[in-house]
Amino acid sequence: MPFLEFSNVDYSYPSGDNDYIQALRAVSLSVERGEFVALVGCNGSGKSTFARLANGLLLPDGGAVTVDGMNTADKSKLYDIRKKIGVVFQNPDNQMVTTIVEDDVAFGPENLGLPPNEIRERVDWALDCVGMREYATSGPFRLSGGQKQRVAIAGVLAIKPELMILDEATGMLDPDGRKEVLNVVKKLNREENMAVVMITHFMEEAAEADRIIILERGAVVANGGKELFQSPEIFTHAGLDLPVYVRVAQKLKAGGIDIGCPLSVDEFVAAAKGALGKKEGGA
Amino acid sequence: MIDVKNLSFVYSPKTPFTTQALYDINLQIETGDFFGIIGSTGAGKSTLVSHFNALTRVQKNSGTVLVDDIDLSAKKIDLKKLRAKVGMVFQYPEHQLFDDTVEKDVMFGPKNLGLPVEEQKERARQAIELVGLDFNEIAQRSPFELSGGQKRRVALAGVLAMRPEILVLDEPTAGLDPVGKRDIMQLVVHAKEMCPTVVMISHNMDEIAEYCNKIAVLNRGRVMGVFSPRELFGSEELLFKCGVELPLVTELAVRLYNNGIDIDRTVLTEDELVRELMKVGGHA
Amino acid sequence: MRDVTIGQYYPSNSIVHRADPRFKLVILILYIVTVFFCESFFSFGVMTVFVLVTILLSRVPFLKVLKGLKIIIVIVLITTLLMMIFYSDTSSKPLAEWGIFHIYLNGIYASIKLAWRLLLLVMMPTVLTLTSTPTELCDGLESLLSPLKKIRFPVHELALIMSIALRLIPTLIEETDKIMNAQKARGAAFESRNPFKKIKAMLPVLIPLFVSSFRRADDLADAMDSRCYRGAKGRTRMKKLRCHVGDVLALLFWCAVTVFILFLKYNWLGWGFVTVLGL
Repeated sequence: MPFLEFSNVDYSYPSGDNDYIQALRAVSLSVERGEFVALVGCNGSGKSTFARLANGLLLPDGGAVTVDGMNTADKSKLYDIRKKIGVVFQNPDNQMVTTIVEDDVAFGPENLGLPPNEIRERVDWALDCVGMREYATSGPFRLSGGQKQRVAIAGVLAIKPELMILDEATGMLDPDGRKEVLNVVKKLNREENMAVVMITHFMEEAAEADRIIILERGAVVANGGKELFQSPEIFTHAGLDLPVYVRVAQKLKAGGIDIGCPLSVDEFVAAAKGALGKKEGGA
Repeated sequence: MIDVKNLSFVYSPKTPFTTQALYDINLQIETGDFFGIIGSTGAGKSTLVSHFNALTRVQKNSGTVLVDDIDLSAKKIDLKKLRAKVGMVFQYPEHQLFDDTVEKDVMFGPKNLGLPVEEQKERARQAIELVGLDFNEIAQRSPFELSGGQKRRVALAGVLAMRPEILVLDEPTAGLDPVGKRDIMQLVVHAKEMCPTVVMISHNMDEIAEYCNKIAVLNRGRVMGVFSPRELFGSEELLFKCGVELPLVTELAVRLYNNGIDIDRTVLTEDELVRELMKVGGHA
Repeated sequence: MRDVTIGQYYPSNSIVHRADPRFKLVILILYIVTVFFCESFFSFGVMTVFVLVTILLSRVPFLKVLKGLKIIIVIVLITTLLMMIFYSDTSSKPLAEWGIFHIYLNGIYASIKLAWRLLLLVMMPTVLTLTSTPTELCDGLESLLSPLKKIRFPVHELALIMSIALRLIPTLIEETDKIMNAQKARGAAFESRNPFKKIKAMLPVLIPLFVSSFRRADDLADAMDSRCYRGAKGRTRMKKLRCHVGDVLALLFWCAVTVFILFLKYNWLGWGFVTVLGL
C-alpha cells in the first residue's frame, strides 16, 4: 500500500458570488516511503491545494486521500496523519509561532506531548540537520529568507514525519536561499530516508527528484521519471519551462546535432563534447 | 537621467545601533537605459532605489542625487513633480491594492497628481490595456478576486497610469511561474516604449542578462562597478570579485569552453549558445 | 518604529534570565503594588537601588533598558512639567509665578515624585521582557492562571494569543512601512491636518494591511494545524517551568521590601528622618 494516496480526488473552492473554481479534478497519485517527488505546475494548476489536502487541512469533494491507510476525512485520525506528514509553506514570515528559533522548533513536539528532555533532543537534532543550531536562541528578524525556511523545515522535522511536503517553500527566496533549502531537502531524503514532495515551478529543482508529477489545470498530465524531459511538449503545454540544458539540447536537435537528452549540466557538457568532438575528428 | 554622486546612507544614525547601508555610491543612469541593479540580499539595492523618488531622503553631507533637474539632497523637493516622473514598483506590488474596483485602484495615482476625472479615467484605461488586460472585462471587478498574475498587472498599471519617465522595478517577477515571469518582462519591454528609462533590481541573472544594457553590481553597500552584460558575464575574474552568479546559459557556455569546445564564452541567450554550437558542429 | 522594545528579548544566561517566569510575574505584581505605597523620597530611593541591582544582575546593558524607555521618558517629562506648573498649594507662598502659573516648593516635590514613580513603574516590566522570552512569559502566565481553568476560562488560548501577538507586532510594523511607501510612491499624501481627510487618506494603507493580516493569520493557522496543534490537550513543554530555591528567596526578599515600605509609609518604625525626607 502506498504511503500517501490520492484516489480520484476532486476539489473546488468558491470564487466571487456564485462561482466555483475547480482546483483538482479526478487526481489519482501516490507517494511511497523514502521517495523524492517533484510536483510541478504553473500558478493556478492546483499544486498548493494538493499540500493542504494531503494532511487534511482541506477535505476532498470527491474521492479520497489516505495516509498510511488512514482516510483524511476521518477526523479522529487527523492528528495521527499530521504526525506522519509535515508541510513547509511558502511564506517564511508566516510560519513561526514564537519569537525564538528553538521555541518555535519545539512547538511541534510539544503538541505531541513528549517529555521535555526528548523535545530538547529533537529540537537540537532538527536544528543540526538544517545547519541552524548556532541561531537557536535568536529571533526571526535577523535571519535571511533561506534561514527562516530552514527553521520552518526544522520545525517540521522535529515532529519526525515520514513525508515532508514543501509547498513552494523556495518561491519567495533569492537564488542563495533556494540553494540552501534544496541542499537541506536533498540531504534529508538521502540521509534520513525522508520521503519528500517538492512543490515548485523551478525546473532545475524538479530535475533533482526521482519522479516528476505535472499538474495542469487541476489534472495530472504526466507522472514519471526524468525521461519526462524527453517530451518537452508536456512541460510547455503545462505552462512550464524545461531546464536550460534540455532546451538547448532540443534546439540543437532541431538544427541537426543530436546530443540526446541531458538531465544535468554535467551530462550536457559530456554529451556536447561527445557529439561535437567526433565531428571535428572526422573533418 | 539619474545622477548619484557620493551617496552614503546610515540607518538609525547617532544611536548604538547604527548600520551603514550605502557607502559613497556613484552612478549615472541615462535616458533610454534598461539599468540592472544586482547584489545579494542586504547589499543595499532597495535602499539605493528608494532614494530615487525621495521615499528615503538624502542624509546631510551624504552626497547628492539628481533626477533630471530635481536635486534630491535639497531641503524642499517638489514631491508631486518627482513622483510623477519616477514610478516605483515594489516587490509583490499586488499587496498594495486597496480600492473596490480595478479602475478606481489604477486611478489612485493620477488622482493624487490632481488631474481632472476624465483624464484620470482615460489614463487608467490606457494603463490597464498596456498591461495586457481587457479593460471592459476587468475594470469594474474587485482587484481582490483576480488571479495572482492579474493582480500584479493591475498594480503595475497603477504605477504606469502616472506616466512616469523613469520606471523603477524591485524584483518585478518574484514569486511568479515561468510563464508569468516572461509575461511581466514582455510587458516591461512594452512599457519602455512610453517610459524610456527602466531601472530593475533582480536576483534572476537570466533576466538581467537578457534585458539590461547596463548592470550595477552592489556588494555590502558599495558599487563594485557598472558594466555591460557582456563585460560582466564574460569575465570570470569580475564575476568572482563581485560575487555574481552566471546566467545559466552563460554557465553552460563556460563549462563547454573549459572542456575544450571552442565557442564564445560570453553568450547571454539560448539562441546565441545554439548558434555558437551549430558553428562548431559545422551547421552554420 | 524600529526601536520598539516590547517583546524584544536580550539573550543572556544571568540569574534573572534563569529565574522562574512565574516568580518573576508575581514579583512584578508585588513590586508594582509596592511602588504605589512609596511616599517618601527615602522609599523611592530604596526601590531604585533594588531596581538597579536587578538590572545589574540581569547583565542587560543599561543603555538597552533606557532605549526601551525612550518614548516613555518623554511622556514622563511632559507630565511632570504640567504637574509642576499647575500644582496649587494655598498654604504656602509660590517660589515663582508667571501669569496664571505658580511654582510651589511642594509642587516641585510632588512632580519629582510623580516622575520617579512612573519611571519605577515602567522600568521593571521592561527588565522582565528583556530577560524572559515571550514563550516563558506566556507559559508563566498560563501556569499562574491555571486555577481559572476550573471555571472554564480559556487560559491556554489567552496565553497563546498573547504570544502570537508579540510575535506579529514587529512584522506588522514592517508591513505598514512597506505599504505606506508604496502608496506614497503613487503620490498619496498622509500629511493632511483635517482628521477626516487623514482617516480617508489612511484607507489605502489600512485596507491592504487588513488583507495581509488576514492572510498571515490564515497561513499561521495552517502552519500550526500542520504541526499537530490541537489546543492545550496533551501538550507538554520543552522548557518546563521549575522553581529553584533562589526563586523562593527572591520572592521572600521582595515581600520583605514591601513590608519595609509599608512600615515607612505608616511610620511604624518611628524613624524621624524619613518623615523629614518624606516631606
